[in-house]
Amino acid sequence: MLRLPVFALHEPETLGQVLELLRIHQPSVGLFAGGTDLLPNIKLGQTYRAHWISLRRVEELHEITPFDGGLRLGASSGLATLATDPDLTAGWPALAQALDKIASPQIRNMATLGGNLCLDTRCRYINQSQMWRQALGGCLKSHGDQCHVVPGGKGCVAALSADSVAPLIAYGAEVDILGPSGLRRILVQDLYDSDGLHHVRCQPDEVLTAVVLPAPPATRHVRYRKWSVRKSIDFPLVSVAVRLDVDAQGLLSDGLIAVAALGPKPRVLPLGQLRGRVLDEQLAHDLGQMAFDRCRPLPNIPYDPAYRRERLAVEVRRAVRDMAGLPIKPLAARLALLGDQL
Amino acid sequence: MSQPLDSKDVSSELPQQPSRHILGGRHGKADSLDAMTGVARYTDDISLPRMLHAKILRSPHAHAEIVRIDVSAAEALDGVHAVVVGREMPTCYGVIPWTPDEQALATDKVRYVGDAVAAVAAISEEIANLACQLIEVEYKVLPALITPEAALQHPEIKIHPNNKHGNITKSVQLAFGDVDGQLEAADLVVEGHYQFHGTTHGALEPHCAVAYFDTRQLLTVWSSTQVPHYLHRELAKVLGLPTYQIRVIQPLVGGGFGGKSEPFDLEFAAALLSIRTGRPVKLLYTREEVFLAHRGRHPFDMNYRTGFSKDGKILAVDARSILDGGAYSSFGLVTTYYSGQLLGSPYAFDSYRFDSTRVYTNKPACGPKRGHGSVQPRFAMEVQLDKAAVALGLDPIELRRRNFIGENTTTINEFHVGSSGFLECLDSVEQASGWKQRRGRLPRGRGLGVAGSTYISGTNYCIYPTELPQSGVQICLDRSGRVRVFAGTSDIGQGSSTMLSVIAAEELGVEIDDVRVIAADSDLCPVDLGAYSSRITLMAGNACLSAAKDLGGKVRDAVAKSWGCSRREVLLAGRRAQRLDDPSVWMSIQDAFVLAEIAYGTMGSTGSYQTPRQEVHGEYRGGTIGASPAYSFTAHIAEVEVDEETGEIEILHVWCAHDCGKALSPVLVEGQIEGSVYMGAAEVVLEHHHVMDSGLKADGSQRDSGPGVEGLLAASSLLDYRMPTTLDTPQLHAMIVEKPDPRGPYGAKEAGEGPLHSAIPAIVNAIYDAIGVRIDQLPATPSKILAALRAQRSGNPL
Amino acid sequence: MDGRETPPHPGRQLELVEFTCNGEPAAVAVPSHWTLLEMLRYGLGLTGTKQGCDKGDCGTCTIILDGQPALACLTLALSARGRFVQTVEGLGVGGQPHPLQAAFARLGAAQCGFCTPGMLMSASAHIEDAVVQGFAVTAESVSQALAGNLCRCTGYTKIVQAVVEAAKEIARDSRAVDEAGMGSLADSDLSAAHQVGGRS
Repeated sequence: MLRLPVFALHEPETLGQVLELLRIHQPSVGLFAGGTDLLPNIKLGQTYRAHWISLRRVEELHEITPFDGGLRLGASSGLATLATDPDLTAGWPALAQALDKIASPQIRNMATLGGNLCLDTRCRYINQSQMWRQALGGCLKSHGDQCHVVPGGKGCVAALSADSVAPLIAYGAEVDILGPSGLRRILVQDLYDSDGLHHVRCQPDEVLTAVVLPAPPATRHVRYRKWSVRKSIDFPLVSVAVRLDVDAQGLLSDGLIAVAALGPKPRVLPLGQLRGRVLDEQLAHDLGQMAFDRCRPLPNIPYDPAYRRERLAVEVRRAVRDMAGLPIKPLAARLALLGDQL
Repeated sequence: MSQPLDSKDVSSELPQQPSRHILGGRHGKADSLDAMTGVARYTDDISLPRMLHAKILRSPHAHAEIVRIDVSAAEALDGVHAVVVGREMPTCYGVIPWTPDEQALATDKVRYVGDAVAAVAAISEEIANLACQLIEVEYKVLPALITPEAALQHPEIKIHPNNKHGNITKSVQLAFGDVDGQLEAADLVVEGHYQFHGTTHGALEPHCAVAYFDTRQLLTVWSSTQVPHYLHRELAKVLGLPTYQIRVIQPLVGGGFGGKSEPFDLEFAAALLSIRTGRPVKLLYTREEVFLAHRGRHPFDMNYRTGFSKDGKILAVDARSILDGGAYSSFGLVTTYYSGQLLGSPYAFDSYRFDSTRVYTNKPACGPKRGHGSVQPRFAMEVQLDKAAVALGLDPIELRRRNFIGENTTTINEFHVGSSGFLECLDSVEQASGWKQRRGRLPRGRGLGVAGSTYISGTNYCIYPTELPQSGVQICLDRSGRVRVFAGTSDIGQGSSTMLSVIAAEELGVEIDDVRVIAADSDLCPVDLGAYSSRITLMAGNACLSAAKDLGGKVRDAVAKSWGCSRREVLLAGRRAQRLDDPSVWMSIQDAFVLAEIAYGTMGSTGSYQTPRQEVHGEYRGGTIGASPAYSFTAHIAEVEVDEETGEIEILHVWCAHDCGKALSPVLVEGQIEGSVYMGAAEVVLEHHHVMDSGLKADGSQRDSGPGVEGLLAASSLLDYRMPTTLDTPQLHAMIVEKPDPRGPYGAKEAGEGPLHSAIPAIVNAIYDAIGVRIDQLPATPSKILAALRAQRSGNPL
Repeated sequence: MDGRETPPHPGRQLELVEFTCNGEPAAVAVPSHWTLLEMLRYGLGLTGTKQGCDKGDCGTCTIILDGQPALACLTLALSARGRFVQTVEGLGVGGQPHPLQAAFARLGAAQCGFCTPGMLMSASAHIEDAVVQGFAVTAESVSQALAGNLCRCTGYTKIVQAVVEAAKEIARDSRAVDEAGMGSLADSDLSAAHQVGGRS
């Protein structure tokens, strides 16, 4: 079987100890949450640290705290726990649904929200064995100097593959990041960079401690749509959340489309310019078209990028239809009318 | 089922017939609780004192010459005990003795990314891995031929320099009847170009071998193999040891499906490393190595022309196929024949011609996957029939009925077909699916499709030329009242040991749990050729039946003597010997066995099975390949829903009726049907063993990247090679049809492979019924569906 | 910090892990980089837990960790310290098969048996959840609960059927025991771990 390399595991119990261990063991040190993504990557030789710091025994990272209608989720909150948390499913159902679609039941029992946010980027030229990558001749993210996704490309474009990111952006969530100089809070939307090698904007001596969900206004609707080939044990190939804020007349007042599984960084499309639109099939179509026009999936993760782009438009349409109270799948007759636009 | 052996509870309800007491009952697998309690031993569960762990260094190039190998740094690593390279066992081997083109470890050339180059034994797997990285290999890289087109275009770049015809490993042309004349005369000629993609077995247990060359110079090899006997032969050949100096044991195997039906590098490497070190050596594949070992379904490119009369009678079949063989021959000689030879039933036609060519490419070798060589042509054939039914305005089931070949007849390529329940299979699926009421009345997007097929129950001829029996079974019983069956058969999960228990229990009057089966140990068991070609129930079953009848006769004789009656009046059943005409006269089976042991001494008998040699196959060259003692028959109906906005196909239901002759263990037969249909359905919509190529478009739509990717697996893990989860599996409806064949034990025929075949075309035909587009090139991906729908809307169907 | 340094030679330094395995105390000395799967199979000889894919893609190594199904191949041995682990060897009491084992055997839910230990672990946790939370075990709920366990032999049909049947039997027995005033199934080994383990 694939074996792990030798390393030291630290299991601190306080955040203070975590920061101290991070400081002492630089540069070959990393944080270890549920391990469900990290351990495969370590086994495959994609990443190595002489020291891993497990966050499992840090009690405060497990806390789920309500505040002013909002919710603060400790970074070590388990995905399965969150997916069925009564507060979360009531106030932020699209997030709970997204978490419930991640990987498999066992992995959701083990994995954490913070771990999902910090999931390493994925690419079909990276998530392979050491032998495979050596046979390829390496790539920007793996002992090489060429990109196989974008020939001639100078930056790594591996895909952000975390299911939680798009719905968190749609809900306007923030993250708390603790470092030697204290705590900072940034929007999830601003957590990511376009460099597939270092796509999470955390410093090596920092730790992501919590996700903060502001109280959702009653007029806010969010839907998450994922497409993966299988219905379980699969990463998203299309991952999109659509938020529609609706005014008293039932017209669109604001909103956004958040798309992951493209490059290293999520893409956020604001919908402010569509203020006043009715929630109907035409809006579904227009937003689908907007996503199609502004997002270009790459051949970084499996499956035909042209299809993933089309599929993104479909999923945006379906999210909008759902919020508009329309059937998610159009009838065959209606589809024929849409025909030329598909 | 299991009352105490000495029970005196008198029952007068014993069956009147000596047969059918155990047989056909709804029992589970005899030994399955072992797996459920964690006591079952698979090969990787074996641990021996001082055992070393081995790893294999594999080629990073799809095609290269080996210039130099330096193992000195690896040998010097702390914890390493031995390093071996190809020249230490250069003898070529191959499961088919006519095409030995593999070496345990490559000596001169590597032919695919993953070809074995050297092996290391160390005190741990981690150290063996590190040592592999320290082996220096200098390669001279050669152009890689990834597709059959490239391999045929470049005969000068020979993947196997000693091969006679460029990169062609086997080419078969056979013709029966006047194909051209019949096509000319046909009212309808359907032409189609079909592609079947590569898929792999995906058994959950990775291949593993443990070898120990002990101080008595006996080499024992435990291996997760389906063919311990062929492994035994090839180990002897490559290692230069006599077979009596080798003992092969096949522990429980965690699934095979054809993926473990020939020797692999790991068994030879573990054996040689044990010989070198004098210590036990274990070699366990990673999941990626399982994908590299492959031997999965050959990608086929097929051109079919089928002629029909206007009433739907098939007049002519003209088939041309290119088989993408990968780097080695494997079973390829047989695959090439099977690609044409197994189409001769369940339909009769007046003329038939096939031309099949298997080509070497620089990829993991293809071989036998469940339904070996005949799943791909069956797909083409059954879609052709569906197209004809549409063109002729016939119900597709009716068209198939009209062409049914019948029973006790001979196919156009001169194979003898005995029993056939094909019509009953069609009736069963037609009724169960509501075909008559529902077909044509479903909303657009939902559809029903049908297909039929046949498969062999073992092959008439052994892989190597011999007059020896194909299967031998030895049975012992004694004063304990229990029975022991010794057989070379390989239980890979399909339940062959249960099958032997059922037959022995049926004949000897005991319960299934009273029979202990000792299987697949070359020191203890008579030879059986292995778990392939769906041969064990018919062949080992017959051997077991013969041995059991012999012993049962002796037991009944001994009892009859004590009762002063004839043996015909003694029934053995339900742990008793009993008078047929007077159930109040009985004794426990244990007492009966004691009487027999007193009368005959130690009780044992052997049975063996050899295939019939007369009137079962044609006299032409190749006429024996694909000939079987008995054929199974299958019909499938699939119901699908196609999402026209996404192009996704949901397979809702598959009904499968399978004629297995006689179901000795109906629960196990249903399990084989369900597992087969599941596997076939996955090949249509999910699975693809895709090897990347920089030069050509692959997968119909997705271009692989630039130089460097040639020969790399696109999906080398169970994450990327997507086998269906519970949530991706259709509702499976298994139905058993029983048309006993005189050549099978109690009439039994195969059930393990046949039920896969027509699942695939049934689904593809259902897609057509749902949305009116044909998917002739598999897999049926959403992007292909969308492209086909677009073409349909534009009025230019693909 | 590029993460590309070469790992050192695996030395011979071992660390002691004490935990509860199938209700009994266990203490194993393991290298710090071993997974729970390696510790169970090589350290304790509990080879019932299988290895199928190396990295969390197949579910054959599913065990129950603090009451929840988890993958032993993605759990570090050291992180099992002080925790409750249940493996297939711990299913069934006093030599009697657990109702799940009996149903799997009776209905032919295991063919090659390699995925079976992991299936049984996911299934038993699901049934336990149903008993504790009071929901009905249905074919649909079982399909969801087993969606992380691949089986290559059965097409899942008989597995799902066996879990549903076993759940019915357990519910019956549980009611019978309740009525007899002898406590509920929630006192079993399984849920003891559930209660003590807490969340991770």
